[in-house]
Amino acid sequence: MPVHPTTTSISPATRRANLRAAVVLVLIAAVFFAGVILSQAFGQTSVGISVLGVGIVGFLVLAIGRNIRR
Amino acid sequence: MSSISHDHAAHGTAIPHGHADHGHDDHAHHPTGIMRWITTTNHKDIGTLYLWFSFIMFLSGGVLALTIRTELFHPGLQIVDPEFFNSLTTLHGLVMIFGAIMPAAVGFANWQVPLMIGAPDMAFARMNNWSFWLLPFAAALLIGSFFAPGGAPSGGWTLYPPLSVQFGMGMDMTIFAVHIMGASSIMGSINIVTTILNMRAPGMTLMKMPLFVWTWLITAYLLIAVMPVLAGAVTMLLTDRHFGTSFFNAAGGGDPVMFQHIFWFFGHPEVYIMILPSFGIVSAIIPTFSRKPLFGYASMVYATASIAILSFIVWAHHMFAVGMPAAGQLFFMYATMLIAVPTGVKVFNWVSTMWRGSLSFETPMLFAIGFIFLFTMGGFTGLVLAIAPVDIQLQDTYYVVAHFHYVLVAGSLFAFFGGIYYWLPKWCGRMYSETLGKVHFWASFIFFNITFFPMHFLGLAGMPRRVPDYATQFTDWNEVASIGAFGFGLSQLIFLYAVVQAIRSGEPAPARPWDGADTLEWTLPSPLPYHTFETPPTVA
Repeated sequence: MPVHPTTTSISPATRRANLRAAVVLVLIAAVFFAGVILSQAFGQTSVGISVLGVGIVGFLVLAIGRNIRR
Repeated sequence: MSSISHDHAAHGTAIPHGHADHGHDDHAHHPTGIMRWITTTNHKDIGTLYLWFSFIMFLSGGVLALTIRTELFHPGLQIVDPEFFNSLTTLHGLVMIFGAIMPAAVGFANWQVPLMIGAPDMAFARMNNWSFWLLPFAAALLIGSFFAPGGAPSGGWTLYPPLSVQFGMGMDMTIFAVHIMGASSIMGSINIVTTILNMRAPGMTLMKMPLFVWTWLITAYLLIAVMPVLAGAVTMLLTDRHFGTSFFNAAGGGDPVMFQHIFWFFGHPEVYIMILPSFGIVSAIIPTFSRKPLFGYASMVYATASIAILSFIVWAHHMFAVGMPAAGQLFFMYATMLIAVPTGVKVFNWVSTMWRGSLSFETPMLFAIGFIFLFTMGGFTGLVLAIAPVDIQLQDTYYVVAHFHYVLVAGSLFAFFGGIYYWLPKWCGRMYSETLGKVHFWASFIFFNITFFPMHFLGLAGMPRRVPDYATQFTDWNEVASIGAFGFGLSQLIFLYAVVQAIRSGEPAPARPWDGADTLEWTLPSPLPYHTFETPPTVA
């Protein structure tokens, strides 16, 4: 199968950082996916939704805030 | 080497290094023909695939819309039966949202984000390929549901139970399509966030990034947060349908209203997912054709973030008519109105950017100004709908249809058209016909308003949406709207012709066709080499 030349100019450190970021983001998505189902399955949906909301807002503030000067 | 040696990034000076643009392009060899597009990991190729895919879906959704408008040209049942009419409205919404607008925005991100931050490609190039190639299969499932036993879902794009629990196999196909498109969106978003956070050129701090990149960073976070929630909701629908659970099935003790809460917890941020990238595009176009820096850059960034955060706490304004305590109504009403503040900041800043600028009115600028004017109208009708007692009167009328089409068609779509005309010379190295572009703009602008402005009157007079028949007093404005819809649809063929003509036989474009353009991509030659910024530029 023909393979395109991929970018070779990404340093190993950047590749590792990319992987770390992706794992964190995948975990967030997985927690939200499972969280919304589990909160429905085990009741207390308002708590579940609140936790999700606080988590999302907190994550946005932290993730963007810690990078703001970089 | 043919790059400009001293151009400007958002707020800095870009210094391309030795082989920054790779005009000679050692790595330009790549498969040709169909295999190029199937196996590509190049962000420009994938951006092109996204944009063509979204345009095909836009035309498909448009055909559904025109069938709806044909049926509504006269009262009574003309060409389709009511069940099929409801399938048309359902699939029109799903196709346009998940098939046209979102992929178009991702197409722009694929093309522009690496170029604007000086990155060689997306962080995960192979995953980028996969993100795209999931979409055609999802689209086939979605549109294929028309041919399933029982037909396509007809309960509206919101897929509310109990109807969605009862439909036939078409609903399963739709649920699966939503899952696949959600996975595609999440993968695309992870790619975009990672690329922006880790692969910016040296010196390109977050607050030096072009606003388009900022809007996509925030949009990608929104997508990662809410697409899994939608996926969870439709998964529960699926288990209710086939595995004996009762999440939303009232007969088994479930709560159909909870689906609405979960859906709109996804659905309202989704509105901003569709509009924030458009804000970014308009924020690139307006300064260029005003020949001034964007007014209030930092406030634009904070306003975008504020809109994103507020979008998580307003979902139940879609549900005032469902019933909720007065305190809940007041909270969601005031929270919704609060979004007008950061949105107003943005409109103020765009207008202030133009103020005393050296304006010129090429096609991208016309679409940007059209966007500001019409999106603001959609925003104002949104404020009207935010008022709980008014919303209870207008719920499920054509006023709502007019409101969200002003936001999503004259908003998102106009910005995308502007973005295509703006960056096409850079992408393909050829200029479009300014005459065709302007004809496309004015035809779209006029026919859009002929289509959707009368819907405000129809809604205020009480005409319900999603119904194929109507009382005879609504006939005149429906005829006007249907004529406008066909005009708007035909106008998009001008766009197709203008783009194809530019690609095939347009005048060669210089590296920087717009003298006010100052972001990193304009330091590169036109057309762009296959690989760019393999050695990152330094942004001073």
